[in-house]
Amino acid sequence: MTTSLLSVSIALSSVLLSGVGSIFPAPIQGGLTNGNTIDALGILIFGVILLAASMLNTIFLIWWERKLLGRFMDRRGAMHVGYAGLLQNFADGFKLFRKDTVRPRDADSMGFFVGPTAYLVTSLVIFAILPISTGWNSGNLPLSLLLAITIFSFAPLFIFISAWSSNNKYSLIGGMRSAAQMIAYEVPILLAIVAVVIVSGTFSLDTIVTEQQNYWYWGPLFLAMVVFVAGMLAEMERIPFDLPEAEAELVEGWNTEYGGMMFAYFMLTDYVRVLLGCFLIVLLFLGGWTMPSWVPSAWTSFPLAGIFWFMLKAYAVFTVFVWIRASLPRVRTDQLLRVGWNRMIPLSLVSIVLAAGLVLAKCLPVFGCLPNLGG
Amino acid sequence: MAGAQVEEKTKPSRSILWVARPMLTAARQFGRSLLRPSTIVYPFERLEDPKFRDRVGIGSGRPIGVGHIWDNYRGVHALNIATCISCNLCAFSCPDLCIDMVTVPGGDPKHPKKSPQIDYGKCSYCGFCSDACPEGCLTMTTRYELSVTKRAEMVYSPQKLQEVFERKLPMNPVRVERPANEDAILLEPLLCIGCNACARDCPTNCITMLDIPKVEPKPGEKVAKRIWKEPVVNDSDCVRCGTCISVCPKECLFWGIRT
Ligand code: SF4
Ligand code: SF4
Ligand code: SF4
Repeated sequence: MTTSLLSVSIALSSVLLSGVGSIFPAPIQGGLTNGNTIDALGILIFGVILLAASMLNTIFLIWWERKLLGRFMDRRGAMHVGYAGLLQNFADGFKLFRKDTVRPRDADSMGFFVGPTAYLVTSLVIFAILPISTGWNSGNLPLSLLLAITIFSFAPLFIFISAWSSNNKYSLIGGMRSAAQMIAYEVPILLAIVAVVIVSGTFSLDTIVTEQQNYWYWGPLFLAMVVFVAGMLAEMERIPFDLPEAEAELVEGWNTEYGGMMFAYFMLTDYVRVLLGCFLIVLLFLGGWTMPSWVPSAWTSFPLAGIFWFMLKAYAVFTVFVWIRASLPRVRTDQLLRVGWNRMIPLSLVSIVLAAGLVLAKCLPVFGCLPNLGG
Repeated sequence: MAGAQVEEKTKPSRSILWVARPMLTAARQFGRSLLRPSTIVYPFERLEDPKFRDRVGIGSGRPIGVGHIWDNYRGVHALNIATCISCNLCAFSCPDLCIDMVTVPGGDPKHPKKSPQIDYGKCSYCGFCSDACPEGCLTMTTRYELSVTKRAEMVYSPQKLQEVFERKLPMNPVRVERPANEDAILLEPLLCIGCNACARDCPTNCITMLDIPKVEPKPGEKVAKRIWKEPVVNDSDCVRCGTCISVCPKECLFWGIRT
């Protein structure tokens, strides 16, 4: 068994607890070094590490988007805080942190505050489910893909709750759009996943990645990938499907009434979800942390190589997202619905049939012969 | 129904172009600005730096005969207090009434020296004041970095404007030639009481009070007893500031063409 983040944190916690316990008399020491306490603290450490890592990643992701988008627009993006503006987002976050949280008088205080919190929390939980590299998640759940997608699609509910309780027409329209949009993209996304599941034969993300050892799925399941990426764009509410935010028409969409730290929550969560979307695409179609065999083994065997390649792929996917954001205009609601129902659903059905055909004809290994598809 | 027809015309091939074409454009732009975006990193680089001069100057539509855009820029004023004659013309010509004439050292008690103080909170950088200045002591520089943290700091006293002058910043070369002014200060002699106010206040000292014997005796007098003084204006020194007209208690001075 390779080391996993959980085992590392449990080891850390046992070292910590035995160190601390040694200064206390026997009964307390016994309680501290008991297996359950160690496990509990280990899980806590695991959560903290995961949280810190995902937050840092998200903040770096925002920086990356700002820089890239700047180049696309013939400007520079963040420049001055930290090297090449790396610390700009921390400065922005600090500024937002110092601001007051203003609640509109007629807003529903429960929904107004619970909405963003639940939005953030449900998005962060998914990090604990997605495997980043072999064993670097909390455990190999048999249905992790289904669980991740389910939690991922909670978001429109919380967006709608916070939009509704803001008591503002722009927020409400944004929330409505978010809910309407969900119906359009959720079905094709699930159908595209079905194609992946047919080929891999499992709902476990770990196994899906190991199945891709020989051939990444983007080749055989290209159609499903296109549908999935388009659906993810809508799920993450990014341009061209950012109707719920549509700052040109709706002020700031469903987060119009949020300022200060609450706005920072929303902003952060948006990018957390983008990062998760990139992770999912990498896991399902780009082979996760595996690399094709023609890559020199020195490049894939250094410590944490899996995480390195995984992150590299995730950021490459995100770069494409930024490219799309820099290029495409926002679609109208009816266009989004038409794309969802008229194009994406038929395409995903076709991709399911294709996937089934590939499995039945047993011609999947053919793709393993093409070196650029992995192998 | 019309909308439905339009929708049916949207063929898949076209909708793929709808995605592909802007993405290509964006990629091209990305490649172009990858190494060097057009942005100038302002506090560290400036448009007027030599390395940008050619790039910005060419094709940026510079006005003929006026040099580059940054040479033409009207920024903070520079004032040479020593040559200011306190003529008030700058304050007169300011459309925003942002010039106050304040006392500066160098005058005498009777005839205090006043120089312009400019409120940059109101100034529109029109340059009328520097065009109006007859001595060329109020000019505009090309310096544009004027941000301050307090509103009071926006008011530049003559001394502060003098500091700008002493820093020898590049001057805005555009200065409208003062047209030859045909108007002259004329006198209605019958009203003049010879009070000397105009001669005292003339910033260029171009008014001399000349003794002019009154030929006509006053009613009740047999002969003219007093020698009357009357102002005589030296037109070539006069800067046409109008101070004499405004100080005259009898309103006997006026603009006109000297015949
Ligand atoms: S440049 Fe400013 S101070 Fe001079 S006349 Fe114009 S508004 Fe008045
Ligand atoms: S116009 Fe020139 S000379 Fe006259 S008061 Fe103003 S600065 Fe002085
Ligand atoms: S207008 Fe009158 S005060 Fe002004 S310079 Fe001429 S004579 Fe002197």
